[in-house]
Amino acid sequence: MRQLLVDVWKGDWGLASVDLDCLQVLAYLKFNAVDFHINNANNPFFTPEGKFPVLRTKGQALTKFEDIVAYMEEKNISSDYGLTKKQAAETQAYSVLLREKLFPALQFLWWVDANNEKGLTTPWYSKVLPYPFNFYYPGKYKRNAEIMIASLYENIDDEKDIKDKVIGEAEKCLTTLSVRLGTNDFMFGSHPTQIDAMLYAYLAPLLKAPLCSTSLQNHLKACTNLNKFVSRISQRYFSQEHHEYEKKIKNEMKNKNDQIEDDPDIIRNQILAIFFSIVTMVAYALHTGLIKRAT
Amino acid sequence: MPSELVVNSWNCQVTGQEPWPDDVQLYQPYETEQILLPDNANCLAVQAFLKMCDLKYVVEYRTNAEEMSPSGRVPFIKCGACLISDFEPITAFVGNKGISLSAHLSEVQKADMRAFMSLVTTVFGNAENYITWLDNSTYCQITKPRYGSVHPFPLNHLLCYLKRNTVIKKLSVLGWADKTLDKVYAEVDKGCGALSDRLEKSKFFFGDQPTELDALVFGHIYTILTTPLPNNRLASTIRGYPNLINHCKIIEKQLFDCYGRPRKSIGWSSTNNN
Repeated sequence: MRQLLVDVWKGDWGLASVDLDCLQVLAYLKFNAVDFHINNANNPFFTPEGKFPVLRTKGQALTKFEDIVAYMEEKNISSDYGLTKKQAAETQAYSVLLREKLFPALQFLWWVDANNEKGLTTPWYSKVLPYPFNFYYPGKYKRNAEIMIASLYENIDDEKDIKDKVIGEAEKCLTTLSVRLGTNDFMFGSHPTQIDAMLYAYLAPLLKAPLCSTSLQNHLKACTNLNKFVSRISQRYFSQEHHEYEKKIKNEMKNKNDQIEDDPDIIRNQILAIFFSIVTMVAYALHTGLIKRAT
Repeated sequence: MPSELVVNSWNCQVTGQEPWPDDVQLYQPYETEQILLPDNANCLAVQAFLKMCDLKYVVEYRTNAEEMSPSGRVPFIKCGACLISDFEPITAFVGNKGISLSAHLSEVQKADMRAFMSLVTTVFGNAENYITWLDNSTYCQITKPRYGSVHPFPLNHLLCYLKRNTVIKKLSVLGWADKTLDKVYAEVDKGCGALSDRLEKSKFFFGDQPTELDALVFGHIYTILTTPLPNNRLASTIRGYPNLINHCKIIEKQLFDCYGRPRKSIGWSSTNNN
């Protein structure tokens, strides 16, 4: 098979891609040991449906996860051949559960929650997108997410109530998933399948993103088996990105420490600052007559 | 009145510990003239659930049940001072009183049950809404006359139009509005396949006792099978899965026969769509 090319949103925070749909496809391809090349395109304007991921093969451009799975099955590549019918049914049920309960919460946290949107999401996308698209796409995604939340919870007016409801549902869903995963390595035993790719795509960005509103993230961090699940997949299948990021973090930490230790002027500056402030205060005290000079 | 809702749910948690009162009412639209396929499925699922729990309730028919409901969706129950709508909150409310159909299940089975319930509500619920509101022939022949039947002119047109818009908006954010009708039937078929594979040859989804999932599946499948529509492909899709039909018949017999409430029985031939 010719090497496949997958266009995606670029990765960050130790993930191969920050986007749910992209990450899902990448994880699925990695599980099946497909040889493919990741292209960090970062501009969805020129894609067939205006969104990532796009899997390009001979004359075809596939964008939907189901289509990509079907395409792989045509090539006799699937991670789900070992599953029983019952397990395949469960795969379907859990994928719907994720979509129904977790997806709105992610959309909410990414785009509707003002802290995250201003502090993380919009700046991130604006930086990554080329000019002039950086003025268009973040706003569009924000509007889409707002419309989604508003029409799913049309009968609730208060924003805080909506937030409680969305996050509450998602927390319940995370607990359910944590219970279902139990002590297994993957959902159906020791090998990853399609549902693991989906689960990883939903959980990993939520776990790794440096969010400003962290209520749901903390709940996920408390589910230790889901945590381990994500790092297991990151280490096994995305080892390059994982290690690069860890190195980067280490370097940054080291740099920071070095800066503090290496600066020879720092103590001199501190002493000067203290000296200067004392002089100013004494001068002020003398000037206003708080201290009187003996005459 | 969201703040009222919060107080209400708080109240429900506090008063939830009391035993089930005798005067619980379940509000829903009129069955013969007014109710639509998606609402009917939800109402029947809640009724089946309450019957499975052996809880007493009285069905109250109201033309404006939808507007009375705290969530804008039917059915809802009135238990003392509490109004609770939708299947899941009602099961949670009943569960607060120590009554649950899934208490005997292991935690993993409960997780599976939740996943399958989500599958049923998403796939069947969205497909029913799509066919009721987006399929043109069904909308013109069934939905519009029925939804408008309880309102005088010109409200019957106006309210129906507004409701259609909200449903379309909701379906489009869920990614269902731009599916074709064939794709919707294919989704239903896929969902039925999953349910059928999960059910296999057993009587109920989890062992010998019915659970919340059984009530929900029954509500949707029974309603789809017995509701006449201009195009009966939805029902015939389900008829392709004999074990689901059987499951539905068992529950119908157990729950609704002994209460003496005559219901339309499930036709076996796929032609009784008038």
